[in-house]
Amino acid sequence: MLQDVLQSKCALFADGVQTVLRGQENRSRRVVMVKGNLVQNARSEEKGVSARVNRDGKFGFASVAEYSPEAAEKVIKAATENAQLLGRHSDGRIALPASCGTGIIPLNGQIVDVEQKLLIELCRTIDDHIAKTYPDLASRTVVYTEDSLDKIIYTSDAYSGHVVSPRCYVYVMMSAETKDGVPVEMFKAMGGYGSFYDHFTNPETLYPQIEELYKRLMDKKEGVYAEAGYKTVVLGGMMGGMLAHEAVGHTVEADLVRGGSVAGPNLGKRVASDLVTMVDFAHTYNGGRADLPVYLDDEGTKAEDALLIKDGILVGYMNDRESAAEYGMTPVGNARGWNFSDEPLIRMRNTCIMPGKDSVEDLIASVDDGYYLIDSGNGQADLTGEFMFGVTCGYEIKNGKLGRALLDTTVSGVAFDMLKTVDMVSDNVEWCGSGFCGKKQPMAVSMGGPHMRCKIMIGGR
Amino acid sequence: MSEIRAIADSFDAILKAKNAEKYTYTLTQSEKQELNIESGSFKLMRTVFNNSGTLKVFSGTKMGNVRGNDITEEGLAKLAEDGLAAAESAEEDPCHDIAPDQGKDVFRQGILEPDMDRFFERTKEFLETVKKEYPKINIMMAMASFDRWHWISRTTNGTEFEGFGGQYGFGLEFSAIDGELTTGMNGCGFSMKDLDTPFIDMCDVRQQLEDTQNSLRTKSVEGKFEGTVVMTPVCVTDFLYMLAGNYMDSSVIINGTSQWLDKVGEKVADEKLTVALNPFDERIIIGERGTQDGFRSENVTLIDHGVLKAHMLNLYASNKTGRPMIKNTSSDLVVEAGEKSFAELIASVDRGLLMGGFSGGQPGANGEFSGVAKNSFLIENGKITEAVMETMVNGNLGDIFANIRGISKEQLCDGSTVVPYIAFDGIIISGK
Repeated sequence: MLQDVLQSKCALFADGVQTVLRGQENRSRRVVMVKGNLVQNARSEEKGVSARVNRDGKFGFASVAEYSPEAAEKVIKAATENAQLLGRHSDGRIALPASCGTGIIPLNGQIVDVEQKLLIELCRTIDDHIAKTYPDLASRTVVYTEDSLDKIIYTSDAYSGHVVSPRCYVYVMMSAETKDGVPVEMFKAMGGYGSFYDHFTNPETLYPQIEELYKRLMDKKEGVYAEAGYKTVVLGGMMGGMLAHEAVGHTVEADLVRGGSVAGPNLGKRVASDLVTMVDFAHTYNGGRADLPVYLDDEGTKAEDALLIKDGILVGYMNDRESAAEYGMTPVGNARGWNFSDEPLIRMRNTCIMPGKDSVEDLIASVDDGYYLIDSGNGQADLTGEFMFGVTCGYEIKNGKLGRALLDTTVSGVAFDMLKTVDMVSDNVEWCGSGFCGKKQPMAVSMGGPHMRCKIMIGGR
Repeated sequence: MSEIRAIADSFDAILKAKNAEKYTYTLTQSEKQELNIESGSFKLMRTVFNNSGTLKVFSGTKMGNVRGNDITEEGLAKLAEDGLAAAESAEEDPCHDIAPDQGKDVFRQGILEPDMDRFFERTKEFLETVKKEYPKINIMMAMASFDRWHWISRTTNGTEFEGFGGQYGFGLEFSAIDGELTTGMNGCGFSMKDLDTPFIDMCDVRQQLEDTQNSLRTKSVEGKFEGTVVMTPVCVTDFLYMLAGNYMDSSVIINGTSQWLDKVGEKVADEKLTVALNPFDERIIIGERGTQDGFRSENVTLIDHGVLKAHMLNLYASNKTGRPMIKNTSSDLVVEAGEKSFAELIASVDRGLLMGGFSGGQPGANGEFSGVAKNSFLIENGKITEAVMETMVNGNLGDIFANIRGISKEQLCDGSTVVPYIAFDGIIISGK
């Protein structure tokens, strides 16, 4: 964990500008076993210090790969000079955003490191179990991955604090061959916030999820292509989470609103059926810790929830301090940078469509001819809200009952059109906190959603 | 950035003191100066001084891999310690290895001393030109950056490579706005070793801006049909990387899921297609000089007139599978030009799409892909007509590369790849 060597350098913060000084260490651990072969055995640690100075709406940023008081001095000076340089090359001044409060955010946890040996043993145990239990697989891959962020933040006119964000996951990937010899595959991520000891001291607790993955793969082995077209579907919770993040979340990031996203002209308007409410949670969901808790962002804003859609009406954006001032909103801690050398950008945290009142069984029973789409490998969306999700696990629904499994396919649509077709929402939420979002920099994100009945475009043969 | 050789000497001493007998490492010092533009205005100036040390170290045949950015004496000692601990924790596997002695060499590529004032002026000039000539274009974000680095790589087998490199880069994301009408996001980017050409005239920047302005009004394709898709070079590059990932990469050969597992020497694609990784092509500014396994990089042809010449196997995968490796771990993609012009390719299509981007995931192991056609236009009776939205494309990677209608004479060179337009037959195109 980082020791505080930065505090004394706050005396160097200049008057009339807004300054943030950030020390940060990123750690990652990765073990990859392919068919029992240890093909990756890697550890990495990167740390340094950065400063960002906002002078008249022009930002100077500088970072050095060294965590020391001397490095802090250097980056404050360089960031100040960069802001001045930019001022000389551009016209106009933008008033600095008002302070949203000052104070200290207490340390929220610990980063617990473990020997690489334990990580390799875990993967070996799981791999041996899969090899022994499921000998008919064509191939198997077991991955242990861990990333943690440790940040100390000092600001001139906002909150300061020391915050950590550790998470670790085991991915199991399996592939099998269809009767025609064509490979099909599926994967499952297991783990969450915290360290190795929080999730993996007993590998046997993972075996039921691995068994479910295997069964679904065996179904998929006999699977069929979806019929392309505009269909009634039940989206599973993981798909709901993907929808929340990709299709809606990005369009309501204020920097993309500024760039012309469809959310701009739709603030205060209906963008979904009244069954849809969507929130970007800071650190707490339903009384418990969210998958990826954020207590303080990299501008020194104390993190709170961002209500985005309420009963189908678009009511807010996710902001940094500057965009919040521009749109007359309150910043709630969405400005985050991935590495010490990255400037903060507007990013999602725990983005979720809220649960409704129906049971999952009722949703499926209500569909005469459609699809149940359970899991997604990836997704992308555009400013217009046009989105695409890969579907890695799904089934036909015929007369209210599940039918044959689906081979990989893709769904697409336009978010604010598609969300208006949501007419049933389940009473449970599924979360996925293993994801990374790409937007100039990577960022750890979490997403969640209920099951939803809706209409969507599905690709297929 | 002049101390790196002394730092490497120090690292060798640390590793030897810890009785490390077999290892390879790369130490890098880098600088970045990056001008960020938001909504058409200068917004943030970013300076990054970074270091990197990567170490692959062995304990017998057990291998550990560590990376860090602290290359002080203390940081390197920790890196060595962590690497050896990781190696000790690993399992015996004689397939992990490093390259035999490749000799010593020093490489200099790109531009090492930037002209930042001119870079600022070129950037300003670009923004002004776009404002004047493409009034509906909204530059959401642009980055003008200069990157410079100095690295050294050594192995216990005697290899020592040292490299100096630097390049300008310019990338932008944009949309078109007309009242309440907005297009989707488009983007382009390129790297340069000089500032002789205005950015607006680089690569296909003008074409991309014009296409985006013409995409404000879109339609969805009606129904479903099998048609021809002419992919832009950017889109072709995406599909070739997907093809490599699914059919040629080390991991899919080791786990045996590649559809081209036993196809080396056989025809796998249309005979018009020749694909290579050519780090020594003069159009590529910073080509790979040493592979991740410590070999001297070589130009490698992967597909020659439709015949698969090699899988993209690294040393480990080669040892594990008994198949030949390639001395190239780059993404320096060069696709041979075809015989038809882009205009002739379009004129040859009865019904299909000109596809500028593909929004879809990595295809499954069977090569099946499906996704949304982005920045795309309908082609009808040999002419580009309307921009499309909510239009999906489906097909199979192996099938479409075996089903090429034509490859353009024109190639797009963005400083790191050289790729033409390719027209693929037999792709399912479906609308709402």
